[in-house]
Amino acid sequence: MIRTSKFLALALLAYAAVAGSEPAVTVRAIELKATPAADGKTVVALPTDSAVDVVSRQGAWVQLKAGRNTGWAKLFDVRLASASNAPAKSGTGSNAMAQTLGLAAGTRTSTVTTGVRGLDADMLSKAVPNPQEFATLESYASTKEQAQTFAKAGRLDTRQVETLVAGGAKTGAAK
Amino acid sequence: MNARHPLAVAALLVVAAVLPSGCAAPGPSEPMTQKDVARSVLGGFSIGGINVGAAAGAAMNAQEAYREIPESEEIVMGNNIAAGLLGAAPLVKQSAQERYVNNVGRWLAVHSGRPDLPWKFGVLDTDSVNAFATPGGNIFVTRGLVVQIRSEADLAGVLSHEISHVVLKHHLKDIQKNAQKNLALDLASLKGGGLAGEAARAVARVGLEGFVRGLSREDELEADRLGVVIAARAGYDPYGLPAVLQTLATLPRDDSAMGLFLKTHPSPADRLAALETAMPASFEAYAKANPALARYGQVFRGETVAVPAAQTAPTAARPTTAPAAAPPAKAPPAKAANPPPTK
Repeated sequence: MIRTSKFLALALLAYAAVAGSEPAVTVRAIELKATPAADGKTVVALPTDSAVDVVSRQGAWVQLKAGRNTGWAKLFDVRLASASNAPAKSGTGSNAMAQTLGLAAGTRTSTVTTGVRGLDADMLSKAVPNPQEFATLESYASTKEQAQTFAKAGRLDTRQVETLVAGGAKTGAAK
Repeated sequence: MNARHPLAVAALLVVAAVLPSGCAAPGPSEPMTQKDVARSVLGGFSIGGINVGAAAGAAMNAQEAYREIPESEEIVMGNNIAAGLLGAAPLVKQSAQERYVNNVGRWLAVHSGRPDLPWKFGVLDTDSVNAFATPGGNIFVTRGLVVQIRSEADLAGVLSHEISHVVLKHHLKDIQKNAQKNLALDLASLKGGGLAGEAARAVARVGLEGFVRGLSREDELEADRLGVVIAARAGYDPYGLPAVLQTLATLPRDDSAMGLFLKTHPSPADRLAALETAMPASFEAYAKANPALARYGQVFRGETVAVPAAQTAPTAARPTTAPAAAPPAKAPPAKAANPPPTK
């Protein structure tokens, strides 16, 4: 594909702002690719359960660091390391875990469990309807036209996409 | 004939058998609908200790559980549930964020099978990590979930999953099924009842309880599959939803903020596995980088001011978006939904 290199440069620009990386493991034996493409050059083969760091994501692909090697694998080829493996729940632990996956610029701060009462079964069963808050909700609604303007500014174009079936199409062939 | 449920037919026969001869029983030439018959005896009279009115009412409720709920009723029902949910957790009321989520959501909904519902989207001010959809097109994400989201494509993935529940009428069917179990609940009396009626409140309770019961695993996986399609149709990278699921899988399972979400959904790992088999390689072509979507960081991380100087004026006019103005954490409605950038 001729557009690939320009595309890649844009992608790097968009995603480069993320600092740090997120620990993960491979869920199957994979080949780390030099580019985010199935026909990319293989950098190194990694067995199942290899410890890697996710540096960034680009669509279906994630950029990984595996020891001294850096390359690309499918998002589905890895699972981010679960916080249960992290050193306790000291806040920084889950923050570090939930930090990257390499998307848009900016730093996320995990605020799970900061003391404000959560929305649990008890709260839902005791909820008293709040029509005033519902009116506020309505006041924020967008019209189709506003959404279209918003989409245009975000360069979002409508595409024809077939629906999916559980387990994937039997033929599997791309159209 | 419209007999869609044997109970309704049974009620018709019971009523016909017990009506006094002087009563205006419908002859074969002027048939009443089963519903008319059921309504005509709702006042109730007792034969041999059996309250015929109640029996007919039960039959109607059984029938209600199978009828197609008109969209207008679905919307009223959903709005009642939304008002209840907002009674449990208010909106963050940061207008830039609320309007942004409505723009993303409405654009996605335009690409769904029900583009013309009165779609409304809200960010709920709670630490719990969750998202909700009511019948009729009210969609909520929690602040606790939003802080785990890193891009507009991620947000689109979450919202399109919820939109899919509405399009596929998952909660509506769940409410019908569960209302049937409660014979006192008559969905039909919602007609014209508005937001205030007792019947409306009862149905809303069944809807709210639905958020605690959770939908079936199949419904959740179906919403995942349709969600990634809606996101792709709307021009988004369809891998936003799996990326969010990857992140959610890392959060501590014993964290109270994750409790209800984990109780009511298949595990993120299961959902990822199902999406992997469902999403064909051809979807990769939809995942192109889109620098225009960096606006997400401007809305949710207060990054606006750093860019062109010309944009500072309108931003300053919205004091609620200034990250520095975060009030003490004790005041939930005004709590900052976007933690200030740490660098």
